[in-house]
Amino acid sequence: MATADTIAHGASAAPGDQDSFASLLQAAVARHLGAPGTLHDLQRLTGGATKATWSFDAECGGTRMPLIMQTTNAGAASIPPAIDGLTPHLTAEEDAQVMRAAERAGVPAPHVHALLEPADGLGHGYITGRVPGETIGTRILREERYAAARGAMASQCGTILAAVHTIDAQEVPFLKDQDAAAQVAAYRTYVDHYRLRLPAVEMGLRWAADRIPSRPRRAVLHGDFRMGNIIVGEEGVRCVLDWEIAQIGDPMQDLGWLCVKTWRFGGRNPVGGFGGREDLFAAYEKASGVTVDPAQVLFWEAFGDVKWAIMCLFKAMAFSDGTEPLSLEQAAIGRRIEEPLLDFLNLIEGRD
Amino acid sequence: MPNSKPDAATLLEAVVKYLDEELIPTLAGYHRFQSRVAANVIRTVGREIGLRAGQAAAERMRLAALLGHDGEVEALNSELADRIRAGALALDDEALRAHIRQSLSDALAINNPKWLSR
Repeated sequence: MATADTIAHGASAAPGDQDSFASLLQAAVARHLGAPGTLHDLQRLTGGATKATWSFDAECGGTRMPLIMQTTNAGAASIPPAIDGLTPHLTAEEDAQVMRAAERAGVPAPHVHALLEPADGLGHGYITGRVPGETIGTRILREERYAAARGAMASQCGTILAAVHTIDAQEVPFLKDQDAAAQVAAYRTYVDHYRLRLPAVEMGLRWAADRIPSRPRRAVLHGDFRMGNIIVGEEGVRCVLDWEIAQIGDPMQDLGWLCVKTWRFGGRNPVGGFGGREDLFAAYEKASGVTVDPAQVLFWEAFGDVKWAIMCLFKAMAFSDGTEPLSLEQAAIGRRIEEPLLDFLNLIEGRD
Repeated sequence: MPNSKPDAATLLEAVVKYLDEELIPTLAGYHRFQSRVAANVIRTVGREIGLRAGQAAAERMRLAALLGHDGEVEALNSELADRIRAGALALDDEALRAHIRQSLSDALAINNPKWLSR
């Protein structure tokens, strides 16, 4: 359920005791990356009850390093046992381990400099390098300076996903292994937990259950590879972020998710709003040696619409059983479920 | 609704006008973002007040035709969901598809009209 966290947040207020936080961070940087760890330009990029991202520069051993710290507060949400752990969600330590494995596999993932330790007093999290560039989908799709990037990105994404799918699963043995049938069952459980009886959602779940891909390959998946989770520069994709729902599954799932219309941010092209499926598939085939079955990718895109609708419901309903306090932003997300459900209907009727 | 003026839709319009024109320009960061979400939620409720009664009457007629009996819209929707889940209706049934498409379009006309023109 991590995906819904990445819906655009405004800049959140910093914690009250900024000075003591900064001194803890400086000490952690000095300990893990090198003294003196003096901080510059510390700012909180995103925030929420369970996750925070900080950007800063630090002086370490005579150089100034551009850095990111991500922390998670695992205990903040009390998920009811009936729906806890149904879908993948990594701890900060696992997340960092996946990013390191990804880097070894040739994926442009954030370079993990340090895992936070209890002695740091900053909670669970890690410090990575900061890659300059743009993540906001609408800017990448509209601004003139990304014109060349837009032309190249579908192929780049195919090549990068082929590399993701070569990550050695033995290096990340904690990943949840979920095929399509297991995912349909998991999302079914979310719907039942909140006693939702919605015709369009039932149509989507049954459509997916009737079309489970037979004998898919299995590989390490990013799980949330899409616009918003990639850093883009003028030349194209620079870095793949947000590995916290990495999983084992059908590699075509990652290709389909990238095409889900929600992640096109108003762009007209099917791959992330910027490119064509044929470029994505050709680059993936060239890099992986595996033939892409467009129908199987379409299954994952359409099921992706249904999953996203249910994630929106899950976010919106989480207050109803005390999982999270009622909040404006999450309540508003509930009214977004028809967007992907109509996209689903259009896709399966060939109108997309 | 009480027989008083201004009506509910006009009251909401006044709140949105205050938020958009007076409050939000003075805000930054977290509260600017939250206030814009709040204004959008109020606009949604305003559209719901204007559109939903008419939609629900038509939806009820479509549901009654699909299910073969009349009832309250919410109960009929739940029954339709159960029948789809049980496999009692073919997913490619034209009347079912048309009904679901119309219901989704109706909801989007309230929740996010821009999505319909994408």
